Amino acid sequence: MANEANPLIALSDAMAEAVEKAGASTLLVEARRRMPASGIAYASDLVLTADHVVEREEDIRLVLPDGSQRSASLAGRDSGNDLALLRLSEAGLSPAQAAARPARVGQLALALGRPSTEGIQASLGVVSALGGPVRTGRGGLLEQYIRTDTIPYPGFSGGPLIDANGGVLGLNTSGLAHGGIALTIPVGLAWQVAEALRRHGRVRRGYLGIRSQPTALPAVQQQALGREQPSGLLLVGIEEGSPAMQAGLMVGDILVSLAGEPLTDPDDLLVRLAGEMVGQSVPLEVLRGGQPVKIAVRIGERK
Amino acid sequence: MSQPTNPHDTGLPGALTDAAEEVVRRVQRSLVVLHNGRHGVGAGVIWSRSDGAGAYILTNYHVVAHGRQVRAALEDGSEIPTRLVATDEEIDLALLRIEQNGLPPAMVADSRQLRVGQLVLAVGHPWGQRGAVTAGLISGLSKAQTRGTRGEVEIIRSDVRLAPGNSGGPLVNASGAVVGINTMIVGGDQGIAIPSHVAQAFVEQATKG
Repeated sequence: MANEANPLIALSDAMAEAVEKAGASTLLVEARRRMPASGIAYASDLVLTADHVVEREEDIRLVLPDGSQRSASLAGRDSGNDLALLRLSEAGLSPAQAAARPARVGQLALALGRPSTEGIQASLGVVSALGGPVRTGRGGLLEQYIRTDTIPYPGFSGGPLIDANGGVLGLNTSGLAHGGIALTIPVGLAWQVAEALRRHGRVRRGYLGIRSQPTALPAVQQQALGREQPSGLLLVGIEEGSPAMQAGLMVGDILVSLAGEPLTDPDDLLVRLAGEMVGQSVPLEVLRGGQPVKIAVRIGERK
Repeated sequence: MSQPTNPHDTGLPGALTDAAEEVVRRVQRSLVVLHNGRHGVGAGVIWSRSDGAGAYILTNYHVVAHGRQVRAALEDGSEIPTRLVATDEEIDLALLRIEQNGLPPAMVADSRQLRVGQLVLAVGHPWGQRGAVTAGLISGLSKAQTRGTRGEVEIIRSDVRLAPGNSGGPLVNASGAVVGINTMIVGGDQGIAIPSHVAQAFVEQATKG
């Protein structure tokens, strides 16, 4: 059987290429005692890793794919999503490339890690499920996650999940779910957090100053909205001086959308407010006396 | 039992399956199951020998250790006695000899050319099932400390699922050539294999002169 004609050899070579490509952007991160971890080069001087592996803010040591060592400091952390951004004093990393398409269930996936100076390590599997939002064991709300049947070897936390072309599908961590189950933070979300950490050193979370509970929308109210939406958020309390009060929201209003995205339960609102909305004036749609009303609200920052 | 006629698989998945089937069939022909009395069962690989008289079987030292009479079960079901030629406990390898001509030796790849991420298959005798196949990839290439004079030996890490009956059996690449001898499981989920170039050097040393 000629090699070119054997698809098994072609697949094997492609996977080795993928590991080599993504491995060039996968680093060893030493920021806690005993257990090593991995990180992904996000920019030429920035490394994204899992927050739970960063137990100190200074004296963080990185080992690059070529074996050279660098020291890094903490640029910012988002404990809720278990992500931390490290900054090198000098540039020189080759940034990882995101996959062309988001992860799909059934797709071949490889988990990479650099747990030691001996070289890159890998494990093969498939994308098993996509999920979210889910409340994390770290007090956050993870908008989306990927689950795979790859083996999370020791030291893989903070490393990339890649597709068979070497594109990054997400960042692997065993620190998000209870019981140390490995999850993958999708690359879109991970990059978004990395960008926020680069700019502000933290992820700014929006704040409205309301207490709400989900409430079913009767058919007549859905008709008034002009769309099918099974539920909204009934306002049961508004904080004094809050953005919600300044915008003129009232107890009894039913919030149905924020910035054009429907709100059907409190998690929807948390997810929407997690984006880069702080300081912006965004349209809020409420049902007041059964009729839809558009109100502009300037999103505050949760402290 | 009547055989249902299977229409040939089509497309890339079908081609992959066909290729894997051919690789597995070839490797299974060079696999022997080693019975070591009450000391258990392991696997072995038929290793080529230049003079063509009889055959060598390469396996793990721990598969044949403590046994008085290790018997090799061949693919055709026959069971024949083996003779111990050489052992190297430090790298857990043993070479056996059987007086049977015409057995197909395994193809052997140069494991110094291995790359992390390459597809590998393990064929052995896990779960008491001869020739069972598990698949995965090369997880890592590293070195392990040894207790003997070498001090360290190169090892292959793979994420292939192994069971005790895989010991001494082949880890092969996508062309069906042996890249390593499956030797142990660490952490419950990582397979350790002795690279074929280390095994080849052991065989050459053992059969020299």
